[in-house]
Amino acid sequence: MLARVANNLFWMGRYLERSEHIARYMNVNYFSSLDSPNELGQSRQFVLRSMLFVADEEELKEHKELDEKKVLFDIGLNPEKQFSILSSIKNAQQNANGARDLISSELYESVNTLNRVVKNYDKDRFVKNGLFDFTTMITANVASLRTKIRSTLLHDEVYAIIMLGIYIERANQVIRIINSKYNDALVEKANSGASVTKSYEWTTLLKCVETYDMMRRYYRKIPTSHTVLDFLILNPVCPRSIMNSLNNIQYYIGFLSKEEIPNKDSAAFLIGKLKYDHQYKTIEDVQENLKGFIEKLVEDLFSVGEKMDKDYFSLY
Amino acid sequence: MKAPTKLPIFSSYEFDSRFYDEIFTDNSEVRKVYETLFNLFSEYSVDDFANLNDKAKDAFFNQGITFQVYGDKETKEKIFPFDLFPRIIGHKEWCKIEKGALQRSKALNKFLWDLYHEQKIIKEGIVPIELIDSSVNFLKQMKGFNPPGEIYNHVSGTDLIKHSDGDYYVLEDNIRCPSGVSYVVGNRDALKRTLFGVFDHYQSYNVSDYGQNLLEIIESVKPKGVDIPKCVVLTPGVYNSAYYEHSFLAKQMGVELVEGRDLFIENDFVYMKTIKGLERVDVIYRRVDDLFIDPLEFKKDSLLGVPGLFKCYMKGKVCLVNAPGTGVADDKAIYTYMPQIIKYYLDEEPILNNVYTYHCSRPSELKYVLENIDKLVIKPVDESGGYGISIGNKLTKEEIEKVKITIKDDPRKYIAQPIMSLSTHATYIEEENSFEPRHVDLRTFTLLGKDKDFVLKGGLTRVALKRGNLVVNSSQGGGSKDTWVLKK
Repeated sequence: MLARVANNLFWMGRYLERSEHIARYMNVNYFSSLDSPNELGQSRQFVLRSMLFVADEEELKEHKELDEKKVLFDIGLNPEKQFSILSSIKNAQQNANGARDLISSELYESVNTLNRVVKNYDKDRFVKNGLFDFTTMITANVASLRTKIRSTLLHDEVYAIIMLGIYIERANQVIRIINSKYNDALVEKANSGASVTKSYEWTTLLKCVETYDMMRRYYRKIPTSHTVLDFLILNPVCPRSIMNSLNNIQYYIGFLSKEEIPNKDSAAFLIGKLKYDHQYKTIEDVQENLKGFIEKLVEDLFSVGEKMDKDYFSLY
Repeated sequence: MKAPTKLPIFSSYEFDSRFYDEIFTDNSEVRKVYETLFNLFSEYSVDDFANLNDKAKDAFFNQGITFQVYGDKETKEKIFPFDLFPRIIGHKEWCKIEKGALQRSKALNKFLWDLYHEQKIIKEGIVPIELIDSSVNFLKQMKGFNPPGEIYNHVSGTDLIKHSDGDYYVLEDNIRCPSGVSYVVGNRDALKRTLFGVFDHYQSYNVSDYGQNLLEIIESVKPKGVDIPKCVVLTPGVYNSAYYEHSFLAKQMGVELVEGRDLFIENDFVYMKTIKGLERVDVIYRRVDDLFIDPLEFKKDSLLGVPGLFKCYMKGKVCLVNAPGTGVADDKAIYTYMPQIIKYYLDEEPILNNVYTYHCSRPSELKYVLENIDKLVIKPVDESGGYGISIGNKLTKEEIEKVKITIKDDPRKYIAQPIMSLSTHATYIEEENSFEPRHVDLRTFTLLGKDKDFVLKGGLTRVALKRGNLVVNSSQGGGSKDTWVLKK
């Protein structure tokens, strides 16, 4: 596989996964805030800040008072904003186009069709009353695209590269979403003295990554910071946990890795190291310094991306 | 004449008996091959057609069978308009086209060999030396070079029209990088998605075997000493208007689609840059024009090519498809010598007609042209895409005078032909919600390899969508039709 095309496939995977998480985050936060148990949770400013924080932290710094329609438009459909769902889908489509000869027609047509639907989506309707429909449509379509990836491509290097893009982005998005909800819980505490451990934000967090029901099945208890973080960070059977993503990243890098024992500067080595570091962590270790843990993981995932670039994509 | 039918979908079909109408005869009857289709169409309402037309358009956009149009502000994605009424070519009629197209491709290949070797045809005075000497497409570098398998024009596109006498004429041979074959397959798919009910009433050839045959052809011209050749398609990139076609061909053949920057040259071998390092490339089906393939040899500022590629080719380490320098033989001035070229190399009579051509480089013919511009089509010999063409009977007096001056400035640059009457075919016109007659041509695709040849049983029927317009090129607002070749 050409190095240039591998880079396209990797980013196609990343952008698709990214658009899904942002769409779901918007959806869940907006709608669960409507019946939040406390006043702050119901406040529109609080919810909009949280959304913008996940979409693009830098953008949030520029605004003191947020305008609902503008924030929704910026995150959903603004072609000028690189962080918008529209831009992510467009980037996914352009990357798919650059790798068009390698992926199935069925997959390409689905990406292309989704891009057309998003590009032509009625902007006024979206900001007025289309948030639910639009974000649900995005999550449903990305899920269906993942099925196309899984069921119409050869499970070879091409597939491995896309899956690497998906899982690296998933780990990245999930840790950022955890970060955002943790911050929200802290703000709530500062505002009303509510308990961080038992905050409603943990329930919202689980719903943001579609794991609420399964978490209840696993622990049979009301979510607390302790169980939720354990489930979303360290539990390997939770499909959106950091641990699950790291296991997958390590599995798929094996398709590409050139040596049996990877060189210590390589992406494969760093991934292996990250995986085993996390496998033998306890939730107490994590909670001791949650902020530091999150920052370190974001940094490490960034390094994985950089090393992949050097190992596989930089030949062109 | 009005169409001999009360069907509302033909309400504005008025055909002109000066042209050959592919659907109706002058006696107001439906031609035999179209009878069944015509009867099937009578079951559809006007709304049905409008609906199907929208569906077909969506199918093209969703599949990304599109090209980019660059405007001042933004880039627009466009589809090559697709028509719902397929063109049907009877079996016997097709056999003649197929033999004729293959004959021309073979003759052109031998002509190219001769031009780049002994030049016997020139020495014997059959083709004038001036045509070669003055051609910018003659590549001196190719002199004396033997391309693998002795093939120059592996892929040829032959443009044909049906004249008012009901016979086919060749308008042009395209042997540089002829495009359009992906639309032949795309149109078939689109018609299958929309009018699936009509297919089981006709026995027509499948067109999806082109990719397989193209791969066999390009593998047949592998460099010496290579067992299983690694083939690639070279594209200028995603912004090229034919990118869809390039990716389609790579996918159909199951080979990599590369850009110039993906290739790398070392010790005169060509490699591509993969995730596992460098991998050798043996055959390149390049969809980049001659002058852009190698900045060291041709255009110095070309970013599309690969520095040193031409040298690898000269050393026989890689094969380029089509060979560089084929443009000298598909020039519009050479076209006029095609009957003689076929006779000289193959000792056969041309199977397909050539349109009579006046050379402005000859004083007596120049005189006739200048006096009869209103009856002629004036074409520059070295432009493609329908640019620079003047159609005499569409010009005002002032415009005719202007054309005269342009020709007199550089007579070698122009040829003239009688205005050919392109046949008309029923074409769905959105604004009218009706079928109307529009002019059509036909491009066929012929492949030549070492001990192997192939003509695609089908072709690209291009339609001039503007009423009365004769220029069918997509860059000039043309559309296209699915084209069926009948098995019996």
